[in-house]
Amino acid sequence: MANVDLQAVRDEWVGKVYDTTEFPIDAQHLVDWAVACGETESRFTEPDDADFQAHPGYVSHFTAGRWTPKGFPELGNGRGVDGGKAVEIFGPIRPGDVLTASTEIADVYDKTGRSGTMIFVVNRMTFRNQHGDKVATVDWRQIRATDG
Amino acid sequence: MRFSEVELGDDLPEETQDITMERVQLFVKTVGMNFPRFTDHEFARKEGLPGAIVPGIMSQGLLAAMIHRWAPGSHVRKIDTVFRAPIVVGTSVKMTGAVTDLDDDAHTVEIDITVVSENGATNVLGTAVVELEP
Repeated sequence: MANVDLQAVRDEWVGKVYDTTEFPIDAQHLVDWAVACGETESRFTEPDDADFQAHPGYVSHFTAGRWTPKGFPELGNGRGVDGGKAVEIFGPIRPGDVLTASTEIADVYDKTGRSGTMIFVVNRMTFRNQHGDKVATVDWRQIRATDG
Repeated sequence: MRFSEVELGDDLPEETQDITMERVQLFVKTVGMNFPRFTDHEFARKEGLPGAIVPGIMSQGLLAAMIHRWAPGSHVRKIDTVFRAPIVVGTSVKMTGAVTDLDDDAHTVEIDITVVSENGATNVLGTAVVELEP
């Protein structure tokens, strides 16, 4: 078991927005992302398409100004490794949109396996467009090894 | 592909793609991740990597594109992937998908997705929830 009270960490930090950043959406960036990923549908690759929009995972490359909130405890050994991303899409993202991302700690938990106990810190970015509509969330899992 | 045509256990058409340096360079330039670990094999090897590696979020994009080819016009509502092992730039990968759940009310299907490298290692695995036409 990790030598840290994760319930106390959750109680103090989960759900508190610690960063807000704006991201303007550029048509050529949307095209380049889709083409690099091998996309073949014109609604993702052709700006003239009436339904032109961002590829599903596009917002996953946006990052907050900080990895964790100021004052967040050092958990495990170092910054850790990328444990993957979950992207949820609620509506289309179009060129010219200006997204505002609010970032919070969504969860902190641990798992113990053959290689010991690992602490998972989940950062959630919630993206809203200039109309206030929630268009996407990205959950990024950071994994931190412990000595436990 | 419509929701009514899908059955539990259906496999998506397997795809093999060459992940060229040119594609990765376009991707990292677009997303502002133009770091040598993604574009310079020698630099990456000095960092202990097997070579320049494909950004994890790009592999997620490859899988979404595969889903769109299986079901044109569909909407990926959620995609969740774990990056288990690096994909080396300049190699071929095999991408797979299998339908594991259906929601009759929402007309969504859940798909297990993987990216497997030439040596048979599973590099990326995860799930996607996709909304289809009824």
